[in-house]
Amino acid sequence: MDFELTDDQLELQRTARDVLDHEAPASLARDIAEGSGSADELWATLTSLDWPALCLPESVGGLGRGWVELAVLLEEMGRHVAPGPFAATVAQFVPTVRHAGTPDQQERFLAPVAAAGATGTLAVDEGAGTWDLDQIGASATRDGDSFVLSGIKCFVVDGATAEEIAVVVRIDGGLRVVVVPGEAVVARELDPIDATTRHATIDLEDVRVDSDRLLVGSDSDDAVVRAVQEATVGTAASTLGACQRILELNLDHARERQQFGVPIGSFQAVKHKMADMYCLIERARALVYFAALVFDSDDDRRVIATSMAKAGAGECQHRCVRDGLQLFGGIGYTWEHELHLFLRRAKIGELHFGSSSSHRRRITRCAMSAL
Amino acid sequence: MRLGYDEKTEAFRDQLVAWLEANLPDPSLTAERPTSSADIPAWARQFQRQMFDDGWLSPAYPPELGGRNADLFEQMVYLEELGRRHVTRSFNPQGLGIVSASIVSFGNDEQIERWAVPIMRAEKTAALGMSEPGAGSDLAALATRAVLDGDHFVVNGQKVWTSGAHDADVLLVFVRTNPEAPKHKGISALIVETDTPGLDRRPFPDLGGPDQVDFNEVFFDDVLVPSTNLVGDLNDGWRICNGALAHERAMLWVMWSQSLDNMLDDALAEFHGTPHADDDVVLDRLGRSIMDSHAIRLLGHRQLAKQQRGLVPAEQSILKLMGSEAQQDLAALMLETLGAAALDQTVEATLRFPYETDRGAVSWSDRYLFTFAGTISGGTSEIQRNIVAERVLDLPRG
Repeated sequence: MDFELTDDQLELQRTARDVLDHEAPASLARDIAEGSGSADELWATLTSLDWPALCLPESVGGLGRGWVELAVLLEEMGRHVAPGPFAATVAQFVPTVRHAGTPDQQERFLAPVAAAGATGTLAVDEGAGTWDLDQIGASATRDGDSFVLSGIKCFVVDGATAEEIAVVVRIDGGLRVVVVPGEAVVARELDPIDATTRHATIDLEDVRVDSDRLLVGSDSDDAVVRAVQEATVGTAASTLGACQRILELNLDHARERQQFGVPIGSFQAVKHKMADMYCLIERARALVYFAALVFDSDDDRRVIATSMAKAGAGECQHRCVRDGLQLFGGIGYTWEHELHLFLRRAKIGELHFGSSSSHRRRITRCAMSAL
Repeated sequence: MRLGYDEKTEAFRDQLVAWLEANLPDPSLTAERPTSSADIPAWARQFQRQMFDDGWLSPAYPPELGGRNADLFEQMVYLEELGRRHVTRSFNPQGLGIVSASIVSFGNDEQIERWAVPIMRAEKTAALGMSEPGAGSDLAALATRAVLDGDHFVVNGQKVWTSGAHDADVLLVFVRTNPEAPKHKGISALIVETDTPGLDRRPFPDLGGPDQVDFNEVFFDDVLVPSTNLVGDLNDGWRICNGALAHERAMLWVMWSQSLDNMLDDALAEFHGTPHADDDVVLDRLGRSIMDSHAIRLLGHRQLAKQQRGLVPAEQSILKLMGSEAQQDLAALMLETLGAAALDQTVEATLRFPYETDRGAVSWSDRYLFTFAGTISGGTSEIQRNIVAERVLDLPRG
C-alpha cells in the first residue's frame, strides 16, 4: 500500500490551512462561544471556494474528490475549531443521500449543496447517546402522497439550522431515510460544551412530508449503516485536528515558558507526556486515514475501520485534553486563553457517534467473528 | 494514498512466493532449534545460504550480496510473505541485520568478503558488543579502550548483554579510540574474532530461567586486533552505531508489527468460544490491542511511503516505542483475564512454526516477562520518549 498523502492531497492540506488561518481564527470560535459571532460569513467563503462541492460526485455538480480529501478538510476544520455547517453537511447529510437515494434524489438534494452550499445533517440517535441503530424507534407512516413521522431525534448536529435533515426511521422493521425540511420540525437547541458545534433535539411528531422525500435508492439497512460509518469517521477527523492543535499550543508553551531558569519543555516529566500525545495523535491519524481509504476503495473492512478511527480519535483526545490542560498550568485554566476552545472541540468528538469503549468492543467482536 | 501495490510489486511477490514454495525445507527436517541468537541449526544454515545464493536473503542488495536490487515496496512484500509463513531470515538476527549490514555499509571490499558475506551465508555467526556496565542508555559513555600499537589495536575493557557472544565467531565491538575527544567523537568499530587470545566470554541466563542463556559478559584483556579490522574511519564509530543503517532500520518496524500480530492471533484464539469472548471488559481492552496492531502497520507503511518519496520520516522513532509497549499491554491483559489459569507455566512443547526462532510454546506469564526485552533493549521506552520529544517535537534538551 501507499499510505501517504499524494502531492495533490498535500497541496489541498496547505491550501485549507491557509484559508482557515485567515477565515477561521480562534477569535471567531471565541465570538461564537461568547454569543456575539456568526459562522455565516465563513460558510459563504468556503462555498465560494467550492469546499462543499469538492467531494461530491461530478454527476451532481461536484468535483469528484474522495474521502481522503474530505478527511484532510475535516481535520483542518477541527484544528481551527472552525464553526459552521460544513461537517454535518458533507460528512453526514451527503453520504446518507449518496448511499440511500436514487440518482434523481441525489441530484435533487445534493446539487444545491454543490452549487450553492445548501446545508444538511443526519438525525439518528433518540436519546441513548449510543448511535445504536437497533434502538431506532422513530417511524414514518404512509398517508396518501405523504409520510407522517413520529418520534424524536437527539444530539442532531445543526438540527435547528440545517436546511434539510436526513432522518433515520423504521418502516416495516427496516431502516429508511426520510429527508425532512429543517423548517418542518420543532427543534430545541442544546447548550453544547463546544459552542461552535451546534446541536438540537428535534420533535418529529406529526411532521408530514411528501412521499418522494423517502430515499428509495436502496431497500436495505446497509445504506444507513454506511452513512453512519462515514459520519462517525468525519467526527473522528475533526477530533484529531483539535488534538493536533492542542499539541501545537503545548509545544509552543513548553518551549517559551520558563521556570527554575529553563524552558519547562526541558523537563522529562513534560517531554514524556508530549511524546505520548504525539504517539496517540499519529496513531489516531493513521486509523482515520485508513478508514477514509477504505471508504474510497470500496474495501470490505468498513466496520472495523470506522470503529478504529473513532476509538483512535477518542483515546487521543482523552490524553490530549487531560495532559494538554494540565501541562499548560494556570494560564490554560482561564477563559481568556484559547486552549479551552480546542479542548472542547476535542472532547465533544468523543461524546458523538458512540464512545471509544463501545467502538473497541465492536472492533473485537469483528475480529472474533473472522476466526 | 492507496490500499494495494502496483503490478510491478505484485509480480515481485509472485516470484518470491514461487521460490518459497519450491525451496522451503520440509518441516520434518527443521526440528533442531537454536540454543542462542548466534547459533544456527544445520538445516537453517543451509536454507539461509540458499536464500543468499538465489538473491532472496537481502532483496535490497545487489545479487553478489544476496539480493536483487529490490525497491522499498518490494522489500515490504518480501517481509509480508516471510511473515505470513513465519519464516525467519536468519537465526542469527543481529549478525545479518546489524553486523553484516554495518560492514556492507561502512567496511571495505576485503572486510565484506572476509566477514559480511560469510555471515550472510551462515558460514559464520556474529554478535554485537555495544553496552557496558557503565554505558547502557548513555551508550556513548562506553569505556572499552582500543589503543593503536603498530598494526594492531590493543583492546581492554568489558561489554555486557552481548547476546549470543558465546556461540559467535566474530564480534562487532564499539571501542573508545580517542579518550580526549567529546564522547561521541572518540568511538570506533572493530571486528574481533572470538578465538583471539585475551577474550573471555561468560554467558549468563536471563529472567526466563536458568536454561535461557543468550546474554554474555565479554572481557577484553590486552586483546590484539589487527588494524585492518577497523570498520569505517577511526573515531567515526558513533555514526555506525547511531542510525546510519538506514536500509535495515527502515524495516525494523515489521518485526514489531509481526510479533504483535502473532501475539494478538494467539490471544483471540485463546478467548474464542470462551466466556471471555462475551465479557465487555475483555472486548473493550482487546479492542485497543487490535487498534495498536493496525496502527503500527499503517504507520510503518506511511514511513515506507515517505522514504519512497525521498523524505526523512519521523515514524521510525515511535514505532519501536509503540510496538514494544503494545505487546506489554496485551500480555498484561492476558494475565489479568486468564487469572489463575495463567499461573501454571507447563505448556505443551510443540513446535508451532517450523521456520521460526520459536523455541516451542511459551506460557503467557513468560510472554509477559519477555515483553520487557522490547521496552528495555535497543533504547528503553524512556529514552525513546526523550528522542521523540527532542528530535521530532523539537523540545529543548534537558
